[in-house]
Amino acid sequence: MQKKFYLTKEGLEKIRKDREDLKNLKLAKTKGEVPKIWHSEDLNPEYLAFQEDLEFLESRLNDLEYITKNAELIKPPSKGAQNNIGLGATVLVQVDGQTDEFTLVGTLEANPSLGRISNESPVGQQLLGHKVGDEVVVSSPIKTVYKIKKIKYKII
Amino acid sequence: MRDILNFFIEVGKLKNKGRRGWELHNIRNPETTAEHIFRMAIVAWTLGKMKKLNTERVIKMALIHDLCEVYAPDLTPYDPLLPKTKDKKKIMEALKRWPKFTPDLKIKKHTEKHRMESLALDKLIAKLSPSFRAEIKNLWMDFEKGLSKEGRFVKQVDKMENLLQGLEYWKKHGKIQHKLWIRWIKEIIDDPLLIDFIKAVEVKFLHK
Repeated sequence: MQKKFYLTKEGLEKIRKDREDLKNLKLAKTKGEVPKIWHSEDLNPEYLAFQEDLEFLESRLNDLEYITKNAELIKPPSKGAQNNIGLGATVLVQVDGQTDEFTLVGTLEANPSLGRISNESPVGQQLLGHKVGDEVVVSSPIKTVYKIKKIKYKII
Repeated sequence: MRDILNFFIEVGKLKNKGRRGWELHNIRNPETTAEHIFRMAIVAWTLGKMKKLNTERVIKMALIHDLCEVYAPDLTPYDPLLPKTKDKKKIMEALKRWPKFTPDLKIKKHTEKHRMESLALDKLIAKLSPSFRAEIKNLWMDFEKGLSKEGRFVKQVDKMENLLQGLEYWKKHGKIQHKLWIRWIKEIIDDPLLIDFIKAVEVKFLHK
């Protein structure tokens, strides 16, 4: 089964732009036109690498093609469904006496240190579908209870 | 050759740089950054191979991911919450809760850490050849931003190695709030193989 990549509108646009940039770079590289830009202060890591490594450029381009082909845009749920946690929801929770807020996104946009948790993480998987007031248990030998205090949809 | 030798000497300093998170936990002779890198490279190689990732890229990325710490501070998530003094009791008190921040503060902390580490890495590799410099910087940016499958995977392996070390210290010394660590890892890992690996870790360390 092909994997679906859930992306926000902004995330999908970025992937498409990266793909176009890389295509242009590949074209320029095959014509020998790639500028020597690594002396610049504003280092673009992708350009830097691909100047060195055509194989990696190809592999990254293939990845981006695959992602674009299998991308699914995260859309705001209907009004009635906005009481439930879905992709794109920003959730305020209480856990072990502490309050925390994070947004559920697809794996490609997840960055927990920025408060974006993947829907494929154990916590993300468990939270999906729940509503305010629910107590979601993420367990194994250690049980953690996430009490859902608030749900809002703002990133999409 | 002199510049390359100096690079090796600078990188060698990580063999003596104790990981600050463990120092805060009062662990005697804590793991050094180089030791963390060593096991992380083994984990990334082993599990990356099972996922059929580009092994060379995975191992190189693990090897360079913390090189910036030759010059950059080894920041921990607890830093903003720590007391100004070196009062051990107060520090241990701060470590009892997992640090949580507002969304704005999360972004600010992340951006500042990235900026400092990027500058530190630039300084470390400044005298290497342009192509080698570019390779190292690219691998680091991939690790930081998750540009490739390998980057996204190695980033999570870094956290996994941290968890493993934390649980080993918990078994040996106590002192570690292991329940918080388990909670934390389940928010940040989403790779299916690593989720399975967490289960094995839990069986090994948490089952009686």
